Amino acid sequence: MERESLLIATLVELADNLVDDYDVIDVLTVLSLRCVEAVDVDAAGVMLASPVGELQFVASSSESMTVLELFQIQTNEGPCVDCFRDGLAITNHALSETDGRWPLFTPRALAQGFRAVHSLPMRLRGRTIGALNLFRTHQGTLSDDDVIVAQGLADVATIAILQHRSTLDAGTLNAQLSNALNSRVIIEQAKGMIRQSTGCDMDEAFNRLRAHARNHNEGLTDLATRLVTKSIHAIDLDEWAKPKGS
Amino acid sequence: MTVHRLLDIFTLMERRERESANGFALCAVAAEFMALDGAGIAMISDGDDLTSLCTSNNAAGALMDLEITLGEGPAVDASHGDANEDTNLLKESASNWETYRPEAVALGARAVFGFPVRLGAIRFGALSLFRSTPGPLNAEQDSDAYLMASVIGRAILATQAGGSHESLVGELDGASMLDFRVHQATGMLAVQGSMSVKDALVVLRAHAFGVGCQLSELADRVVSGSTHLDPDTRVWVDDVESVING
Repeated sequence: MERESLLIATLVELADNLVDDYDVIDVLTVLSLRCVEAVDVDAAGVMLASPVGELQFVASSSESMTVLELFQIQTNEGPCVDCFRDGLAITNHALSETDGRWPLFTPRALAQGFRAVHSLPMRLRGRTIGALNLFRTHQGTLSDDDVIVAQGLADVATIAILQHRSTLDAGTLNAQLSNALNSRVIIEQAKGMIRQSTGCDMDEAFNRLRAHARNHNEGLTDLATRLVTKSIHAIDLDEWAKPKGS
Repeated sequence: MTVHRLLDIFTLMERRERESANGFALCAVAAEFMALDGAGIAMISDGDDLTSLCTSNNAAGALMDLEITLGEGPAVDASHGDANEDTNLLKESASNWETYRPEAVALGARAVFGFPVRLGAIRFGALSLFRSTPGPLNAEQDSDAYLMASVIGRAILATQAGGSHESLVGELDGASMLDFRVHQATGMLAVQGSMSVKDALVVLRAHAFGVGCQLSELADRVVSGSTHLDPDTRVWVDDVESVING
């Protein structure tokens, strides 16, 4: 799809999502997926800070264990950590074996074929609440336009966290962050149950959950909660067909 | 920041432990740590029933008994997952605590706050706090409350998993709880052992204590399949190959 049309479609889709009731994890997943298409990167994900200031993974374009692992490492070090701490974008950081900046993160990212990383801050009234992380396997740098688009998507992600709350005091924001992060934990608990019940891998477990939620017009976190509390069984989830070539 | 505040909690806990023989000093620690007039920890027992785990002083005890009896109040609401507050009990407010409010005022409270103690879909209970003067929590107190709730959750888990007194202090480092494999492993175990996720987490924690390894390390083994709970005997079984190969 031509770039401009793609951006317009992305904007419209995100706006449509945000005007109604929505599930924060689902919207951030959509955002991550669209980011990969719109900005020509190979993986994207969002990390949020807990009220206590610990960065945690919330949503990604891929739920494969290898990608999740790269976010796990970034609870301690990595582009997200630096970006969050300083509130400044990191763009076109080429990964190399001699790069000592992130001694745990860089080798793992390289091992998975990533060549460059970018991290855009999610900022709200002077407070950085998280970071949008982008990974790229192929050569080349992000253009200035790409960086602008990526920052725009990071800003949309920030808006999504607020979920229509009109007051932005620390207490309200903390509650929103806490709920978003707790939702991710519920989803991880659900993924474990689905994997054990059906034998599928964690990536497919997430996608089955998400597909079923969308098919039945149910919130992703609500469905995950019902599954974890055993109101619905994993085998009753809709099937999900893995896209060809993935 | 977090490290400093955790050390503060630790210091207060140590001092409390020396002063009294009472095991669960976390209530008094919470009140002092956050410079409030009282704190209480409610625990969810069978089904949805709330019981008081501990309270920091007589007033906090009376307030906790009040809201448990009435079924309305900050801990009750928080136990269902919503952080909440009433910053001025003397004023008509949005909170639906018609009966609780005047009774709480009579007991000396002017502002009350409730925070969930949870891990994903696992609900341990709630932390409730009160002040004898109206007004909201400041930003630091609000973030401290989340830290306290997190510590309390881990302490409850460790106690239920048969942890020793020393291990409770070890629980102050919450890094394992940020590890997505712990949550996935919890879900897997819930299916393997045909138990609730809460019981599964306790079983996971207990086994980590038993074999002397970090919770995240054990979780990694569960997720990779090198150890599992036998569904019939509910005994832990290590995959032989991984035992040999280490």
